[in-house]
Amino acid sequence: MAVWYLIIANPVLNVLVALTHLLGGSFVLSIIALTVIVRLFSSPLTKRQLNSTKAMQEMQPKIQELQKKYGKNQQKLQQEMMKLYKEAGINPLGCIWPMLIQLPIWIALYQAIMSALASTPESLLGLAQRLYSWDIVNQAIPLSSKFLWLDLGQPDPYLILAIIVGGTMWVQQKMTTAPAVDARQQSTNRMMTLLMPLMFGFLTLMFPSGLALYWAVSNIIGIITQYFVTGGWGYLRPRSPSPSK
Amino acid sequence: MVLLEVAGWQPRGYGDVIPSLKVAMTQYLSFTMKQAKILLLIVIFLLPLTLASCAPWGGSQSAGGWAGTVVYEGTVYVGTLDGRVVAINSSTENLEWAYSIAPITAPSGGLSCGETSIPTAIYGTPIVDEGIVYIGTYSGQVLALSMLARGQNLTFPQRGYGEWEWACPINNARSNAIVADLLLSGDTIYVSSSNGRVYSLDKEFGDLNWESKVLNERHIKLWTSPIIQDNALYISTYDGHIYALSLETGDLLSWYFESDAGFASSPVIYEDAMFLGSFDRYLYAVNISSSIPMWKFPEEKPAGNWFWAPPVTKGGIVYAGCLNGGLYAVEAKTGENLWEFNAGSPIVASPVLMANMLIVVDESGTVYVFDLNTELGNEAVPLMTVSIDAAVKSSFCAQEGLIYIRGDDNQLYVVDIDVGGIIWKIDLSIEE
Repeated sequence: MAVWYLIIANPVLNVLVALTHLLGGSFVLSIIALTVIVRLFSSPLTKRQLNSTKAMQEMQPKIQELQKKYGKNQQKLQQEMMKLYKEAGINPLGCIWPMLIQLPIWIALYQAIMSALASTPESLLGLAQRLYSWDIVNQAIPLSSKFLWLDLGQPDPYLILAIIVGGTMWVQQKMTTAPAVDARQQSTNRMMTLLMPLMFGFLTLMFPSGLALYWAVSNIIGIITQYFVTGGWGYLRPRSPSPSK
Repeated sequence: MVLLEVAGWQPRGYGDVIPSLKVAMTQYLSFTMKQAKILLLIVIFLLPLTLASCAPWGGSQSAGGWAGTVVYEGTVYVGTLDGRVVAINSSTENLEWAYSIAPITAPSGGLSCGETSIPTAIYGTPIVDEGIVYIGTYSGQVLALSMLARGQNLTFPQRGYGEWEWACPINNARSNAIVADLLLSGDTIYVSSSNGRVYSLDKEFGDLNWESKVLNERHIKLWTSPIIQDNALYISTYDGHIYALSLETGDLLSWYFESDAGFASSPVIYEDAMFLGSFDRYLYAVNISSSIPMWKFPEEKPAGNWFWAPPVTKGGIVYAGCLNGGLYAVEAKTGENLWEFNAGSPIVASPVLMANMLIVVDESGTVYVFDLNTELGNEAVPLMTVSIDAAVKSSFCAQEGLIYIRGDDNQLYVVDIDVGGIIWKIDLSIEE
């Protein structure tokens, strides 16, 4: 646990507090800035993932052909598709890394929000032991948790943030999930595309709105990046089948 | 999203090292794809919920509190970790009475959608006056407990015995919790609340005399205690102000002091100066007449942490404990550092003066006693050191050579300075 605090939790907390001071005492702007920083750090991996998505997109006609050809022989289909991916130089595992990087950040951010806002006397006292001796950090304490109708240390009492988180996640997912020809696969994809945004929307109702804000901003940045890297809305706007020559 | 893509990825090309392994892997992945997706969903769903409901990660609520001790006519009064106010006879070392404060009902958190009952935390030190024990609670109540009525275990409140309870209004704030010590002056009790207001209550009946406006819109909670000097009530705030309120009406007076950083501690007054710690890791001295800062300590670079506890003053010297473990003796007029001592563990509770002795307890539970009659030099050496083997954040008191400390383990420790050790202790969770 000490290592966790030393390497991840405390740096995230201190950066968050320092950013708050630099951004005129706005904790919300600090969360947004931290999200941008995290996305920048993970951008090489994200770019790799998006390039894979783009390549997937371009390979879609070939994949559909394979699915039609070997639809009844799953084993053969898997082998052929694997061969196709290998030829195209796509690593299916490449897309895990941005997620793996973000997961500890989520946890650290959740802890940082709860600590930094110091909603109990214990958490305020505990904060003293976790802050670096930078003037910029200590002058920012304590932080204001108010933003519009939100108390950033508490869940959004209305559905607004949940809808934003769920909606942006759905758009981002829809942009990257390739359509399947196989009916079973298609229905699974549809279910998954709906389940994740619903689940995160539900989590937004339970978690501090500061963390939900991070999810929302992260999704929006993801959508924008994806739009520019893949050159469009991806699978969000289904392509009309190209005329056969 | 990304994880979804992983789960929904149709081909999986892990096994191109050995051809047979590749085929086996493909078959396996194809077979377990559905289960993997379900498992993935469960993991994603459960992980944050587990974090939210797991105490070490900061999500759960517990009673907590660092209630201080007070001794009055041979009885020790203190709030406990299980939400009670107890009276312990210091001669017999027995529980005289205990009063359980109504617990707080709160959402369970985590996977449970129900509610849970949490003992009410107590952070303040009780005030004892004319047979009544006054205490503020984290549930936003001020209680006046009669020693007589509680000794007979009568239903609370017994008006005939002078008992009352007052519920602090929330007033559109998130909380009405009372964290700071109450202040008793004459016939009035002054209360600072997490809703950002100061309240004046009649000591006898608990009636509200006045309430101030919200002093601190940005960092609303008031967890610092007020102090009185020359017909004005002074209170420090987390947004870096010290305000003066009228004792009669609670209106803001023209006097105020403003600092760049918020104030971490309640102010202490000595002669015409006010001393208090700030989140910028300095101890400030402010001249009350002119509201001009006299000095800040340390003079050059800030201390290693906050001066969290209010300092104590005696003979023109300010004694301040710091969360960096330092104890500093500072000349009240000039801010000159007379001597210092490093306890090695944060000093959360205010130092206490008893005759010519200065007593400090650090968070690790080590008690240091300094003899102020002897020349302490630049780096003071304590007269004696006693370890009570429990963390200490609570205020403590000392009387007739005995130090009464409530540990974070919910035990009351009594240290005898003459003996140089603990002479008795009692578990505060005991029933009558």
